[in-house]
Amino acid sequence: MANSLFSTRTLDCKDLHVYLKTLPSHILDRLYNHPATCLAVFRELPEIGKHYVMRLLFVEQPVSQAVIGLWINNRHINEHHICTRALSDLRIWYEQPLPGGMQGWILNSTFKTNMKTALLGGGEPWTGRGAVPLPSDKNSKDVEFLDKYAVERWECVLHFMVGSNEGKDGISGDTIEVLKHSGLMKLEEGEPMPFITPGGFQFLLMDTPSQIWFFMLQYLDMVDSRGLDLVECLSFLFQLSFSTLGKDYSTESMSEGQQRFLQHLREFGLVYQRKRKEKRYYPTRLAINLASGLSSITSDSNRKGFIVVETNYRIYAYTDSPLNIALLALFSEMLYRFPNMAVANLTRDSVRAALIRGITAEQIISFLRTRAHQEMAKEGPALPPTIIDQIRLWELERDRFKFNDGVLYSQFLSQGDFEKLRDYAKDLGVLVWDNNQKRVMVVSRAGHDTVKKYWKQLKQSGNS
Amino acid sequence: MADSTSTCSLVVIILDTNPAWWGRQSNHGNPKLSLSKCVDSLMTFANSHLMMNHLNKIAFIAAHSNFSHFMYPKRQQREVTDIDTNIGEINDGKYELFDRMNNQIKDEIKSLVLKNMEVEFENDSLIAGALSMALCYIHRMEKEKPIGVKMTSRVLVVKASEDNPAQYMNLMNTVFTAQKQNVVIDACILDNDSGLLQQACDITGGVYLKIPQPQGMLQYLLWVYLPDPSTREQLTLPARVQVDYRAACFCHRNLIDIGYVCSVCLSIFCSFSPICSTCQTTFKIIAPPKLTKKKSKKPTT
Repeated sequence: MANSLFSTRTLDCKDLHVYLKTLPSHILDRLYNHPATCLAVFRELPEIGKHYVMRLLFVEQPVSQAVIGLWINNRHINEHHICTRALSDLRIWYEQPLPGGMQGWILNSTFKTNMKTALLGGGEPWTGRGAVPLPSDKNSKDVEFLDKYAVERWECVLHFMVGSNEGKDGISGDTIEVLKHSGLMKLEEGEPMPFITPGGFQFLLMDTPSQIWFFMLQYLDMVDSRGLDLVECLSFLFQLSFSTLGKDYSTESMSEGQQRFLQHLREFGLVYQRKRKEKRYYPTRLAINLASGLSSITSDSNRKGFIVVETNYRIYAYTDSPLNIALLALFSEMLYRFPNMAVANLTRDSVRAALIRGITAEQIISFLRTRAHQEMAKEGPALPPTIIDQIRLWELERDRFKFNDGVLYSQFLSQGDFEKLRDYAKDLGVLVWDNNQKRVMVVSRAGHDTVKKYWKQLKQSGNS
Repeated sequence: MADSTSTCSLVVIILDTNPAWWGRQSNHGNPKLSLSKCVDSLMTFANSHLMMNHLNKIAFIAAHSNFSHFMYPKRQQREVTDIDTNIGEINDGKYELFDRMNNQIKDEIKSLVLKNMEVEFENDSLIAGALSMALCYIHRMEKEKPIGVKMTSRVLVVKASEDNPAQYMNLMNTVFTAQKQNVVIDACILDNDSGLLQQACDITGGVYLKIPQPQGMLQYLLWVYLPDPSTREQLTLPARVQVDYRAACFCHRNLIDIGYVCSVCLSIFCSFSPICSTCQTTFKIIAPPKLTKKKSKKPTT
């Protein structure tokens, strides 16, 4: 009861599989037309499922379900059922009867062909590396530059969300649309700029790959209204995440829709393109890490940690970014600010203030953990266990009350009346609470009418 | 979100490129498995391993008859030039990373085959040397891995040529090191059963399998060797083979069932000698009749 009250407010970040399951089946089948999508889907399968696919990849005829069931130990039969369901849900394999009347599984032929293409070669080249190789770029960019560029662009979006001045320029209407659509920002009437919602704060506390993945999901939701093709965008996105950092790709063979999609990605910092008309682009680490953001891996390899947390609830943040300090201030009490570091205190009040805003303890902990300073991350658990426990306790504190609507019955004249009514309510299962000494009882709202009727009958029969 | 550690798995493939064995294979007229086919299967296996998880890593070592050669990954500078030269070559639907790795391995094998034409070939390969190279590489990767990533490593030995008992000591030392480092050694045997590798797999908890049909090598690789040791527990895999636990004597490098063991350093000898050649202990012999009592006579099986 209490849980459902609070969890409705936490941000729902789907993983790839949950997202794909929401897509209609004909779109799924079209998605598997590209090797990159197959690779991405394959990587997200349960471990056993991956092996099932690999074992069946070079088998042409359907394989009996009983045989596949024997592949796994009896002790792990549960994993087997989870896997077979996941594979069927994603239409990676489907049932086909065998000649003997038994049921068998056969891999989706599109999926199989494209997996083989990715693995062994052959087939059509991926877009961006056509038959004509690009001449070498005279303005070629190194990895360091791309990293800096990507982080700058992405932080621009984040800055815009917290309303700091740095993010004012360079945010297009499209981005704002996505932010509003996703519920991360809201536009109040009479205000020119949207402002951030509680969901937005939760978004800010996520690690970068998850942020990008969440953002891209929202973007893809709206893709149809922009006249772009969802399948085209998704497969291009996956292809980006399987490209090489620091290498340039050509825009030559891209379709009109993909070109427009590329321009949007450029705005978020997922790709670097020197000029709009330039015939080449570089994928950045944000795009490549997208594949890792799909699962729950929380390593932010491109950015250095800056937070030191001590057991006395002090936080030292070695950063000069106003965004990071603003994020930290969401759940801590700022003490001092220096040119290159800030000191804050975690207090019960500050954490509770964050919890009231809908931020969960897990989000705070994972924020601190993923941004922990390298020296902290080196030894054992990155955060002191006492701090983690305390933050969780502060959250549990808020769950102490259970709210139930009810109607209070009191001022019974006799113990007999009270007991009769109480037993009646108890039998119906609508009694919430009662006190024998004070002759009071609480009945849930749903049961109020029947109990009231019964009480009237009781009184009438008593009077007559 | 409870565990923030991500796991990656490193597989070091050691391919026995013994020219004598592979040459004999192709001369048979109806070769069951040619070197190029074997390398193709191994590369598909490597690609599949990389495909399982984006953090997975692969390394490739060739164990030749007289040296071991590290084929993949090469040093960083080489890799950059490789990207440049290969840019135009990719024109099908293969994943770039796979393509680059496969090309590199192919090139290395080609140069390896062409380079050593005049040398006299032995019948055995330097598996122990390649194994210790693999362990060194695993050790380095273990140190260089990013914080918060858990790495499990294993070695896959693909072996065709005969065992050389002369390598017994070196191999056993590397095997025990592997056991200490939690590295699993798997062996995929193409032709001659290898007692030494049987012991290696048994000690480190790996899979030893002599492939019944070398033509279908890829399927064996994908079925038996692709799952990680942690996943193997859940799957039904071929039963363990009977392990040949014979040791090689230190004097003549013969595999023996019963021998003499030095009571000080535990060296094994096939015949009695009054001074241990390893630790120089002298075994005093008082009288010929008591000889059998003084010398320590222990079966080693």
